[in-house]
Amino acid sequence: MSAVALAPQALRIAGTEPVVRLQRVTKVYGHGRAAIPALDDVSLVVGKGEFLCIVGASGCGKSTLLSLIAGLDRATAGRIESPVARPAMMFQEPALLPWLTVRRNVELPLRLRRVEPTERSVRVNRLLNMVGLIDFADSRPHQLSGGMRQRVALARALAQDSELLLMDEPFGALDAITRDALHEDVTRIWEETGRSIVFVTHNVREAVRLGDRVVLMTSRPGRVGRLWDVDIARPRSLDAVEVAALATEITARLRLEVGSDTTQ
Amino acid sequence: MPRLLAIGILLGLWQLLVVVGVKSPAGLALPGPGDALAKIGDLARQGVLYPALLNTLRRAATGYALALLVGTVIGLAAARIPVLRAAVGSLLAGLQSLPSVVWVPIAALFLVAGGQDENAMYFVVIMGAFPSIAMGVLSAYDHIPPLHFRLARSLGARGPQLYRHFIISAALPGYVAGMKQAWAFSWRSLMAAELIIGSLASSGLGSLLDNGRSLGDLPLMFAAVLTILVVGIAVDDVIFTPLERGLLRRRGLLAT
Repeated sequence: MSAVALAPQALRIAGTEPVVRLQRVTKVYGHGRAAIPALDDVSLVVGKGEFLCIVGASGCGKSTLLSLIAGLDRATAGRIESPVARPAMMFQEPALLPWLTVRRNVELPLRLRRVEPTERSVRVNRLLNMVGLIDFADSRPHQLSGGMRQRVALARALAQDSELLLMDEPFGALDAITRDALHEDVTRIWEETGRSIVFVTHNVREAVRLGDRVVLMTSRPGRVGRLWDVDIARPRSLDAVEVAALATEITARLRLEVGSDTTQ
Repeated sequence: MPRLLAIGILLGLWQLLVVVGVKSPAGLALPGPGDALAKIGDLARQGVLYPALLNTLRRAATGYALALLVGTVIGLAAARIPVLRAAVGSLLAGLQSLPSVVWVPIAALFLVAGGQDENAMYFVVIMGAFPSIAMGVLSAYDHIPPLHFRLARSLGARGPQLYRHFIISAALPGYVAGMKQAWAFSWRSLMAAELIIGSLASSGLGSLLDNGRSLGDLPLMFAAVLTILVVGIAVDDVIFTPLERGLLRRRGLLAT
Protein backbone atom coordinates (compact mmCIF):
# COMPACT_ATOMS: atom_id res chain seq x y z
CA MET A 1 0.00 0.00 0.00
CA SER A 2 1.44 3.36 -0.97
CA ALA A 3 1.47 6.43 1.18
CA VAL A 4 -0.53 8.30 -1.45
CA ALA A 5 -3.32 5.76 -1.20
CA LEU A 6 -3.34 6.05 2.56
CA ALA A 7 -3.46 9.79 2.65
CA PRO A 8 -7.16 10.41 1.93
CA GLN A 9 -8.34 8.09 4.68
CA ALA A 10 -5.86 9.47 7.12
CA LEU A 11 -7.01 12.98 6.35
CA ARG A 12 -10.63 12.04 6.86
CA ILE A 13 -9.88 10.39 10.17
CA ALA A 14 -7.85 13.41 11.17
CA GLY A 15 -11.10 15.36 10.77
CA THR A 16 -10.18 17.83 8.05
CA GLU A 17 -12.85 19.94 6.46
CA PRO A 18 -15.35 17.80 4.53
CA VAL A 19 -15.89 18.40 0.83
CA VAL A 20 -19.63 17.76 1.14
CA ARG A 21 -21.84 17.56 4.19
CA LEU A 22 -25.45 16.40 3.80
CA GLN A 23 -27.68 17.02 6.78
CA ARG A 24 -31.08 15.32 7.00
CA VAL A 25 -31.65 15.68 3.26
CA THR A 26 -35.10 14.71 1.97
CA LYS A 27 -36.31 14.75 -1.60
CA VAL A 28 -39.94 14.28 -2.63
CA TYR A 29 -41.08 14.33 -6.24
CA GLY A 30 -44.58 15.66 -6.91
CA HIS A 31 -47.16 16.95 -4.44
CA GLY A 32 -50.03 15.67 -2.31
CA ARG A 33 -51.21 12.14 -3.00
CA ALA A 34 -49.01 11.80 -6.08
CA ALA A 35 -45.92 12.60 -4.03
CA ILE A 36 -43.11 10.07 -4.34
CA PRO A 37 -40.45 10.17 -1.64
CA ALA A 38 -37.05 9.55 -3.25
CA LEU A 39 -34.73 10.32 -0.35
CA ASP A 40 -35.58 10.35 3.33
CA ASP A 41 -33.44 11.94 6.02
CA VAL A 42 -30.06 11.29 4.44
CA SER A 43 -27.02 12.50 6.37
CA LEU A 44 -23.58 11.90 4.97
CA VAL A 45 -20.13 13.44 5.05
CA VAL A 46 -17.63 13.13 2.23
CA GLY A 47 -14.08 13.82 3.36
CA LYS A 48 -11.58 15.80 1.37
CA GLY A 49 -9.71 13.49 -0.98
CA GLU A 50 -12.02 10.59 -0.17
CA PHE A 51 -13.25 8.01 -2.68
CA LEU A 52 -16.79 7.27 -1.53
CA CYS A 53 -18.95 4.66 -3.27
CA ILE A 54 -22.71 4.52 -2.95
CA VAL A 55 -24.41 1.21 -3.76
CA GLY A 56 -28.07 0.31 -3.81
CA ALA A 57 -30.78 -1.36 -5.83
CA SER A 58 -32.22 0.38 -8.90
CA GLY A 59 -34.53 3.21 -7.94
CA CYS A 60 -33.13 3.64 -4.41
CA GLY A 61 -32.47 7.30 -5.04
CA LYS A 62 -28.70 7.14 -5.40
CA SER A 63 -28.75 9.07 -8.68
CA THR A 64 -31.11 11.60 -7.10
CA LEU A 65 -28.60 12.06 -4.30
CA LEU A 66 -25.88 12.78 -6.84
CA SER A 67 -28.08 15.28 -8.72
CA LEU A 68 -28.68 17.12 -5.44
CA ILE A 69 -24.97 17.32 -4.66
CA ALA A 70 -24.31 18.43 -8.25
CA GLY A 71 -26.85 21.22 -7.86
CA LEU A 72 -28.88 19.92 -10.81
CA ASP A 73 -31.86 19.42 -8.51
CA ARG A 74 -33.08 20.95 -5.25
CA ALA A 75 -33.65 19.13 -1.97
CA THR A 76 -37.16 19.27 -0.47
CA ALA A 77 -35.72 19.53 3.04
CA GLY A 78 -32.36 19.41 4.76
CA ARG A 79 -29.04 21.03 3.99
CA ILE A 80 -26.21 20.33 1.62
CA GLU A 81 -23.02 22.20 2.47
CA SER A 82 -19.93 22.23 0.34
CA PRO A 83 -17.03 24.61 -0.21
CA VAL A 84 -16.95 23.40 -3.84
CA ALA A 85 -18.86 25.83 -6.06
CA ARG A 86 -19.57 23.47 -8.91
CA PRO A 87 -18.81 19.75 -8.67
CA ALA A 88 -17.77 17.99 -11.89
CA MET A 89 -20.21 15.34 -13.08
CA MET A 90 -19.87 12.16 -15.09
CA PHE A 91 -23.12 10.64 -16.31
CA GLN A 92 -24.16 7.08 -17.06
CA GLU A 93 -23.81 7.94 -20.74
CA PRO A 94 -20.71 9.77 -21.97
CA ALA A 95 -22.88 12.76 -23.01
CA LEU A 96 -20.26 13.93 -25.51
CA LEU A 97 -21.25 16.55 -28.04
CA PRO A 98 -21.29 14.67 -31.37
CA TRP A 99 -20.38 17.72 -33.47
CA LEU A 100 -17.11 18.33 -31.61
CA THR A 101 -13.84 16.41 -31.86
CA VAL A 102 -12.43 14.66 -28.81
CA ARG A 103 -10.11 17.61 -28.19
CA ARG A 104 -12.93 20.16 -28.40
CA ASN A 105 -15.15 18.10 -26.10
CA VAL A 106 -12.47 18.01 -23.41
CA GLU A 107 -11.74 21.69 -24.01
CA LEU A 108 -15.37 22.74 -23.52
CA PRO A 109 -15.27 23.38 -19.74
CA LEU A 110 -12.13 25.50 -20.25
CA ARG A 111 -13.76 27.48 -23.06
CA LEU A 112 -16.82 28.12 -20.92
CA ARG A 113 -14.51 29.52 -18.23
CA ARG A 114 -12.71 31.60 -20.88
CA VAL A 115 -9.29 30.05 -20.32
CA GLU A 116 -6.77 31.35 -22.86
CA PRO A 117 -6.21 29.25 -26.02
CA THR A 118 -2.52 28.48 -25.39
CA GLU A 119 -3.17 27.35 -21.83
CA ARG A 120 -6.24 25.44 -23.02
CA SER A 121 -4.27 23.41 -25.51
CA VAL A 122 -1.54 22.58 -23.00
CA ARG A 123 -4.04 21.38 -20.45
CA VAL A 124 -6.14 19.42 -22.91
CA ASN A 125 -3.02 17.61 -24.13
CA ARG A 126 -2.13 16.74 -20.56
CA LEU A 127 -5.61 15.41 -19.84
CA LEU A 128 -5.74 13.39 -23.06
CA ASN A 129 -2.39 11.87 -22.16
CA MET A 130 -3.74 11.05 -18.73
CA VAL A 131 -6.65 9.04 -20.17
CA GLY A 132 -4.50 7.61 -22.99
CA LEU A 133 -6.39 9.22 -25.86
CA ILE A 134 -3.88 11.72 -27.22
CA ASP A 135 -3.78 9.83 -30.54
CA PHE A 136 -7.54 10.23 -30.90
CA ALA A 137 -7.62 13.97 -30.22
CA ASP A 138 -9.03 14.78 -33.65
CA SER A 139 -11.50 11.89 -33.84
CA ARG A 140 -15.20 12.41 -33.37
CA PRO A 141 -17.18 10.63 -30.64
CA HIS A 142 -18.96 8.28 -33.07
CA GLN A 143 -15.60 6.90 -34.18
CA LEU A 144 -14.71 5.75 -30.66
CA SER A 145 -15.62 2.65 -28.63
CA GLY A 146 -17.83 2.90 -25.54
CA GLY A 147 -14.86 2.73 -23.18
CA MET A 148 -12.98 5.43 -25.08
CA ARG A 149 -16.03 7.69 -24.97
CA GLN A 150 -16.23 7.36 -21.20
CA ARG A 151 -12.51 8.18 -21.04
CA VAL A 152 -13.20 11.38 -22.97
CA ALA A 153 -16.04 12.15 -20.54
CA LEU A 154 -13.62 11.55 -17.65
CA ALA A 155 -11.05 13.93 -19.17
CA ARG A 156 -13.79 16.53 -19.66
CA ALA A 157 -14.90 16.16 -16.04
CA LEU A 158 -11.29 16.63 -14.91
CA ALA A 159 -11.06 19.74 -17.10
CA GLN A 160 -13.70 21.29 -14.87
CA ASP A 161 -10.99 21.62 -12.23
CA SER A 162 -13.42 20.83 -9.48
CA GLU A 163 -12.19 19.36 -6.24
CA LEU A 164 -15.22 17.07 -6.22
CA LEU A 165 -15.99 14.57 -8.96
CA LEU A 166 -19.44 12.96 -9.04
CA MET A 167 -19.80 9.76 -11.05
CA ASP A 168 -23.24 8.29 -11.78
CA GLU A 169 -22.76 4.62 -12.80
CA PRO A 170 -20.32 5.73 -15.51
CA PHE A 171 -19.13 2.22 -16.39
CA GLY A 172 -22.44 0.38 -16.22
CA ALA A 173 -22.70 -0.11 -19.97
CA LEU A 174 -19.14 -1.33 -20.53
CA ASP A 175 -17.83 -4.87 -20.93
CA ALA A 176 -15.86 -6.42 -18.07
CA ILE A 177 -12.37 -5.95 -19.53
CA THR A 178 -12.92 -2.32 -20.51
CA ARG A 179 -14.46 -1.62 -17.14
CA ASP A 180 -11.48 -3.11 -15.34
CA ALA A 181 -9.10 -0.90 -17.34
CA LEU A 182 -11.20 2.16 -16.45
CA HIS A 183 -11.18 1.19 -12.77
CA GLU A 184 -7.40 1.27 -12.93
CA ASP A 185 -7.42 4.64 -14.70
CA VAL A 186 -9.83 6.20 -12.23
CA THR A 187 -7.85 4.91 -9.24
CA ARG A 188 -4.58 6.19 -10.71
CA ILE A 189 -6.03 9.59 -11.59
CA TRP A 190 -7.61 9.88 -8.14
CA GLU A 191 -4.25 9.16 -6.54
CA GLU A 192 -2.42 11.59 -8.83
CA THR A 193 -4.87 14.47 -8.58
CA GLY A 194 -6.08 14.08 -4.99
CA ARG A 195 -9.69 14.82 -5.91
CA SER A 196 -12.66 13.69 -3.89
CA ILE A 197 -14.93 11.26 -5.70
CA VAL A 198 -18.51 10.20 -5.04
CA PHE A 199 -19.17 7.15 -7.18
CA VAL A 200 -22.66 5.68 -7.57
CA THR A 201 -23.09 2.09 -8.76
CA HIS A 202 -25.33 -0.95 -8.37
CA ASN A 203 -22.26 -3.19 -8.74
CA VAL A 204 -21.07 -4.04 -5.22
CA ARG A 205 -17.69 -5.46 -6.33
CA GLU A 206 -16.98 -2.30 -8.28
CA ALA A 207 -17.73 -0.26 -5.16
CA VAL A 208 -15.40 -2.38 -3.00
CA ARG A 209 -12.64 -2.31 -5.62
CA LEU A 210 -12.72 1.47 -5.87
CA GLY A 211 -13.87 3.04 -2.62
CA ASP A 212 -12.36 4.11 0.69
CA ARG A 213 -15.84 3.69 2.08
CA VAL A 214 -18.98 2.03 0.73
CA VAL A 215 -22.42 3.35 1.61
CA LEU A 216 -25.38 1.01 1.19
CA MET A 217 -28.63 2.79 0.44
CA THR A 218 -32.03 1.26 1.18
CA SER A 219 -34.91 1.61 -1.23
CA ARG A 220 -38.17 3.55 -1.34
CA PRO A 221 -37.48 5.96 0.17
CA GLY A 222 -33.70 6.06 -0.09
CA ARG A 223 -31.93 6.07 3.26
CA VAL A 224 -28.37 5.45 4.31
CA GLY A 225 -28.45 1.80 5.36
CA ARG A 226 -24.91 1.01 6.41
CA LEU A 227 -21.35 2.17 5.94
CA TRP A 228 -18.27 0.03 5.45
CA ASP A 229 -14.66 1.16 5.62
CA VAL A 230 -12.72 -0.64 2.92
CA ASP A 231 -9.38 -1.39 4.54
CA ILE A 232 -7.95 -3.25 1.59
CA ALA A 233 -4.55 -2.26 0.23
CA ARG A 234 -4.38 -0.71 -3.22
CA PRO A 235 -3.83 -1.66 -5.97
CA ARG A 236 -6.89 -3.86 -5.64
CA SER A 237 -8.19 -6.37 -8.11
CA LEU A 238 -11.80 -7.31 -8.72
CA ASP A 239 -10.88 -10.95 -8.11
CA ALA A 240 -8.88 -10.40 -4.89
CA VAL A 241 -10.08 -12.56 -1.99
CA GLU A 242 -10.59 -9.60 0.36
CA VAL A 243 -12.57 -7.69 -2.27
CA ALA A 244 -14.75 -10.73 -2.92
CA ALA A 245 -15.30 -11.34 0.80
CA LEU A 246 -16.43 -7.79 1.58
CA ALA A 247 -18.54 -7.71 -1.58
CA THR A 248 -20.28 -10.90 -0.48
CA GLU A 249 -21.02 -9.37 2.92
CA ILE A 250 -22.43 -6.18 1.41
CA THR A 251 -24.42 -8.10 -1.20
CA ALA A 252 -26.02 -10.24 1.51
CA ARG A 253 -27.09 -7.06 3.24
CA LEU A 254 -28.35 -5.60 -0.05
CA ARG A 255 -30.41 -8.76 -0.67
CA LEU A 256 -32.06 -8.31 2.72
CA GLU A 257 -33.01 -4.77 1.77
CA VAL A 258 -34.38 -5.75 -1.63
CA GLY A 259 -36.21 -8.71 -0.08
CA SER A 260 -37.90 -6.60 2.59
CA ASP A 261 -38.86 -4.13 -0.11
CA THR A 262 -40.59 -6.69 -2.33
CA THR A 263 -42.48 -8.33 0.53
CA GLN A 264 -44.10 -5.05 1.52
CA MET B 1 -26.87 6.59 -62.20
CA PRO B 2 -30.48 5.75 -61.31
CA ARG B 3 -31.30 9.42 -61.58
CA LEU B 4 -30.26 9.69 -65.24
CA LEU B 5 -32.30 6.58 -65.96
CA ALA B 6 -35.39 8.13 -64.35
CA ILE B 7 -34.95 11.32 -66.39
CA GLY B 8 -34.49 9.22 -69.53
CA ILE B 9 -37.70 7.29 -68.88
CA LEU B 10 -39.62 10.51 -68.21
CA LEU B 11 -38.40 12.11 -71.45
CA GLY B 12 -39.24 8.86 -73.28
CA LEU B 13 -42.81 8.90 -72.00
CA TRP B 14 -43.12 12.55 -72.94
CA GLN B 15 -41.85 11.81 -76.45
CA LEU B 16 -44.32 8.91 -76.67
CA LEU B 17 -47.24 11.28 -76.03
CA VAL B 18 -45.92 13.50 -78.84
CA VAL B 19 -45.65 10.56 -81.23
CA VAL B 20 -49.18 9.44 -80.35
CA GLY B 21 -50.22 12.95 -81.37
CA VAL B 22 -51.74 14.50 -78.27
CA LYS B 23 -53.36 17.87 -79.08
CA SER B 24 -54.97 20.61 -77.02
CA PRO B 25 -58.75 21.18 -77.57
CA ALA B 26 -57.75 24.21 -79.63
CA GLY B 27 -55.77 21.92 -81.90
CA LEU B 28 -52.26 22.87 -80.79
CA ALA B 29 -49.84 19.93 -80.94
CA LEU B 30 -47.95 18.93 -77.79
CA PRO B 31 -44.29 19.93 -78.20
CA GLY B 32 -41.67 17.28 -77.50
CA PRO B 33 -38.60 17.45 -75.27
CA GLY B 34 -36.51 18.38 -78.31
CA ASP B 35 -38.76 21.35 -79.10
CA ALA B 36 -38.57 22.57 -75.52
CA LEU B 37 -34.77 22.25 -75.39
CA ALA B 38 -34.44 24.03 -78.75
CA LYS B 39 -36.65 26.81 -77.40
CA ILE B 40 -34.44 27.17 -74.34
CA GLY B 41 -31.50 27.58 -76.76
CA ASP B 42 -33.41 30.23 -78.72
CA LEU B 43 -34.30 32.12 -75.54
CA ALA B 44 -30.68 32.10 -74.48
CA ARG B 45 -29.53 33.45 -77.88
CA GLN B 46 -32.22 36.13 -77.89
CA GLY B 47 -31.00 37.35 -74.50
CA VAL B 48 -34.31 36.60 -72.82
CA LEU B 49 -33.37 33.59 -70.69
CA TYR B 50 -30.59 35.01 -68.52
CA PRO B 51 -32.31 38.24 -67.45
CA ALA B 52 -35.44 36.25 -66.56
CA LEU B 53 -33.36 33.65 -64.70
CA LEU B 54 -31.42 36.33 -62.82
CA ASN B 55 -34.56 38.24 -61.86
CA THR B 56 -36.15 35.10 -60.54
CA LEU B 57 -33.06 33.94 -58.65
CA ARG B 58 -32.62 37.38 -57.11
CA ARG B 59 -36.22 37.33 -55.89
CA ALA B 60 -35.86 33.79 -54.64
CA ALA B 61 -32.66 34.58 -52.73
CA THR B 62 -34.01 37.78 -51.17
CA GLY B 63 -37.40 36.28 -50.30
CA TYR B 64 -35.78 33.15 -48.91
CA ALA B 65 -33.31 35.11 -46.79
CA LEU B 66 -36.16 37.17 -45.32
CA ALA B 67 -38.18 34.01 -44.65
CA LEU B 68 -35.13 32.49 -42.95
CA LEU B 69 -34.82 35.50 -40.68
CA VAL B 70 -38.52 35.68 -39.80
CA GLY B 71 -38.83 31.90 -39.36
CA THR B 72 -35.71 31.58 -37.20
CA VAL B 73 -36.70 34.40 -34.87
CA ILE B 74 -40.27 33.12 -34.47
CA GLY B 75 -39.13 29.51 -34.12
CA LEU B 76 -36.48 30.26 -31.48
CA ALA B 77 -38.81 32.49 -29.50
CA ALA B 78 -41.57 29.86 -29.57
CA ALA B 79 -39.12 27.12 -28.59
CA ARG B 80 -37.95 28.94 -25.46
CA ILE B 81 -41.20 30.66 -24.42
CA PRO B 82 -43.99 28.16 -23.60
CA VAL B 83 -46.81 30.75 -23.84
CA LEU B 84 -45.69 31.76 -27.31
CA ARG B 85 -45.44 28.14 -28.38
CA ALA B 86 -48.98 27.44 -27.23
CA ALA B 87 -50.12 30.52 -29.13
CA VAL B 88 -48.39 29.97 -32.47
CA GLY B 89 -47.65 26.23 -32.58
CA SER B 90 -50.82 25.05 -34.34
CA LEU B 91 -51.03 28.27 -36.33
CA LEU B 92 -47.63 27.53 -37.89
CA ALA B 93 -48.70 24.00 -38.85
CA GLY B 94 -51.83 25.49 -40.44
CA LEU B 95 -49.86 28.11 -42.35
CA GLN B 96 -47.48 25.43 -43.55
CA SER B 97 -50.29 23.43 -45.12
CA LEU B 98 -51.92 26.54 -46.60
CA PRO B 99 -50.99 26.77 -50.31
CA SER B 100 -49.12 30.02 -50.54
CA VAL B 101 -50.76 30.82 -53.87
CA VAL B 102 -53.72 32.08 -51.81
CA TRP B 103 -51.55 35.05 -50.78
CA VAL B 104 -51.03 36.11 -54.40
CA PRO B 105 -54.37 37.89 -54.94
CA ILE B 106 -54.01 39.64 -51.58
CA ALA B 107 -50.46 40.72 -52.36
CA ALA B 108 -51.65 41.87 -55.80
CA LEU B 109 -54.36 43.99 -54.26
CA PHE B 110 -52.31 45.61 -51.51
CA LEU B 111 -48.80 45.79 -52.92
CA VAL B 112 -48.87 45.47 -56.69
CA ALA B 113 -51.63 48.06 -57.02
CA GLY B 114 -49.47 50.39 -54.92
CA GLY B 115 -46.56 49.86 -57.33
CA GLN B 116 -44.70 47.52 -54.99
CA ASP B 117 -44.42 44.58 -57.39
CA GLU B 118 -41.20 43.19 -55.92
CA ASN B 119 -42.47 43.48 -52.37
CA ALA B 120 -45.54 41.52 -53.39
CA MET B 121 -43.28 38.69 -54.58
CA TYR B 122 -41.26 38.74 -51.36
CA PHE B 123 -44.43 38.72 -49.30
CA VAL B 124 -45.71 35.58 -51.04
CA VAL B 125 -42.33 33.84 -50.71
CA ILE B 126 -42.05 34.70 -47.01
CA MET B 127 -45.57 33.49 -46.28
CA GLY B 128 -44.82 30.28 -48.15
CA ALA B 129 -41.45 29.53 -46.59
CA PHE B 130 -41.22 30.92 -43.06
CA PRO B 131 -43.58 28.37 -41.42
CA SER B 132 -41.28 25.53 -42.53
CA ILE B 133 -38.28 27.32 -41.05
CA ALA B 134 -40.04 28.03 -37.76
CA MET B 135 -41.38 24.46 -37.52
CA GLY B 136 -37.87 23.19 -38.30
CA VAL B 137 -36.43 25.25 -35.44
CA LEU B 138 -39.16 24.04 -33.04
CA SER B 139 -38.74 20.38 -33.86
CA ALA B 140 -34.94 20.65 -33.87
CA TYR B 141 -35.08 22.21 -30.41
CA ASP B 142 -37.43 19.52 -29.12
CA HIS B 143 -35.07 16.81 -30.32
CA ILE B 144 -32.06 18.05 -28.36
CA PRO B 145 -31.34 15.23 -25.85
CA PRO B 146 -32.28 16.28 -22.28
CA LEU B 147 -28.84 14.99 -21.23
CA HIS B 148 -27.23 17.85 -23.20
CA PHE B 149 -29.15 20.35 -21.11
CA ARG B 150 -28.10 18.56 -17.91
CA LEU B 151 -24.51 18.61 -19.09
CA ALA B 152 -24.77 22.31 -19.94
CA ARG B 153 -26.08 23.02 -16.44
CA SER B 154 -23.42 20.96 -14.76
CA LEU B 155 -20.76 22.80 -16.78
CA GLY B 156 -22.36 26.08 -15.74
CA ALA B 157 -23.29 27.24 -19.26
CA ARG B 158 -26.16 29.65 -19.46
CA GLY B 159 -27.46 32.54 -21.58
CA PRO B 160 -25.42 33.16 -24.74
CA GLN B 161 -23.00 30.31 -23.88
CA LEU B 162 -25.89 27.85 -23.70
CA TYR B 163 -27.02 28.92 -27.19
CA ARG B 164 -23.57 29.06 -28.71
CA HIS B 165 -22.11 25.82 -27.41
CA PHE B 166 -25.17 23.63 -27.01
CA ILE B 167 -28.50 24.67 -28.52
CA ILE B 168 -27.46 26.01 -31.93
CA SER B 169 -25.09 23.16 -32.80
CA ALA B 170 -27.43 20.49 -31.47
CA ALA B 171 -30.35 21.91 -33.43
CA LEU B 172 -28.44 22.39 -36.69
CA PRO B 173 -29.39 19.16 -38.53
CA GLY B 174 -33.11 19.68 -37.86
CA TYR B 175 -32.75 23.32 -38.81
CA VAL B 176 -31.13 22.45 -42.15
CA ALA B 177 -33.93 19.93 -42.83
CA GLY B 178 -36.39 22.80 -42.30
CA MET B 179 -34.31 25.06 -44.58
CA LYS B 180 -34.41 22.43 -47.30
CA GLN B 181 -38.16 22.10 -47.11
CA ALA B 182 -38.55 25.87 -46.96
CA TRP B 183 -36.57 26.19 -50.19
CA ALA B 184 -39.09 23.93 -51.96
CA PHE B 185 -41.95 26.02 -50.58
CA SER B 186 -40.37 29.35 -51.45
CA TRP B 187 -39.58 28.24 -55.01
CA ARG B 188 -43.14 27.15 -55.73
CA SER B 189 -44.54 30.25 -54.02
CA LEU B 190 -42.37 32.48 -56.16
CA MET B 191 -43.44 30.71 -59.34
CA ALA B 192 -47.11 31.15 -58.43
CA ALA B 193 -46.48 34.83 -57.76
CA GLU B 194 -44.53 35.40 -60.98
CA LEU B 195 -47.09 33.50 -63.02
CA ILE B 196 -49.97 35.62 -61.80
CA ILE B 197 -48.51 39.05 -61.11
CA GLY B 198 -45.16 38.68 -62.87
CA SER B 199 -46.16 40.39 -66.11
CA LEU B 200 -46.51 43.66 -64.24
CA ALA B 201 -43.03 43.41 -62.74
CA SER B 202 -39.75 42.88 -64.53
CA SER B 203 -39.92 39.51 -66.19
CA GLY B 204 -38.92 36.22 -64.56
CA LEU B 205 -39.26 32.51 -65.32
CA GLY B 206 -42.90 32.52 -64.21
CA SER B 207 -43.74 35.36 -66.54
CA LEU B 208 -42.09 33.49 -69.44
CA LEU B 209 -44.59 30.71 -68.82
CA ASP B 210 -47.45 33.21 -68.72
CA ASN B 211 -46.24 34.82 -71.96
CA GLY B 212 -46.19 31.40 -73.60
CA ARG B 213 -49.77 30.84 -72.55
CA SER B 214 -51.06 34.18 -73.86
CA LEU B 215 -49.15 33.83 -77.13
CA GLY B 216 -50.20 30.20 -77.63
CA ASP B 217 -46.48 29.38 -77.82
CA LEU B 218 -46.41 25.86 -76.41
CA PRO B 219 -42.65 25.26 -76.80
CA LEU B 220 -42.09 28.45 -74.78
CA MET B 221 -44.36 27.14 -72.02
CA PHE B 222 -42.57 23.83 -71.85
CA ALA B 223 -39.18 25.53 -72.02
CA ALA B 224 -40.19 27.60 -68.99
CA VAL B 225 -41.46 24.58 -67.06
CA LEU B 226 -38.26 22.66 -67.76
CA THR B 227 -36.09 25.58 -66.66
CA ILE B 228 -38.10 26.05 -63.44
CA LEU B 229 -37.78 22.34 -62.65
CA VAL B 230 -34.04 22.24 -63.32
CA VAL B 231 -33.28 25.37 -61.26
CA GLY B 232 -35.35 24.06 -58.33
CA ILE B 233 -33.47 20.76 -58.33
CA ALA B 234 -30.08 22.40 -58.91
CA VAL B 235 -30.37 24.73 -55.92
CA ASP B 236 -31.29 21.79 -53.71
CA ASP B 237 -28.42 19.73 -55.12
CA VAL B 238 -25.77 22.42 -54.96
CA ILE B 239 -26.66 24.05 -51.64
CA PHE B 240 -28.94 22.10 -49.34
CA THR B 241 -28.11 18.45 -49.93
CA PRO B 242 -24.31 18.89 -49.44
CA LEU B 243 -24.95 21.06 -46.37
CA GLU B 244 -27.17 18.40 -44.81
CA ARG B 245 -24.92 15.48 -45.71
CA GLY B 246 -21.81 17.25 -44.40
CA LEU B 247 -23.49 17.92 -41.07
CA LEU B 248 -24.73 14.37 -40.68
CA ARG B 249 -21.46 12.78 -41.75
CA ARG B 250 -19.45 14.69 -39.16
CA ARG B 251 -21.80 13.42 -36.45
CA GLY B 252 -21.68 9.83 -37.67
CA LEU B 253 -25.38 9.85 -38.59
CA LEU B 254 -24.86 8.90 -42.21
CA ALA B 255 -24.18 5.43 -43.59
CA THR B 256 -21.13 5.09 -45.93
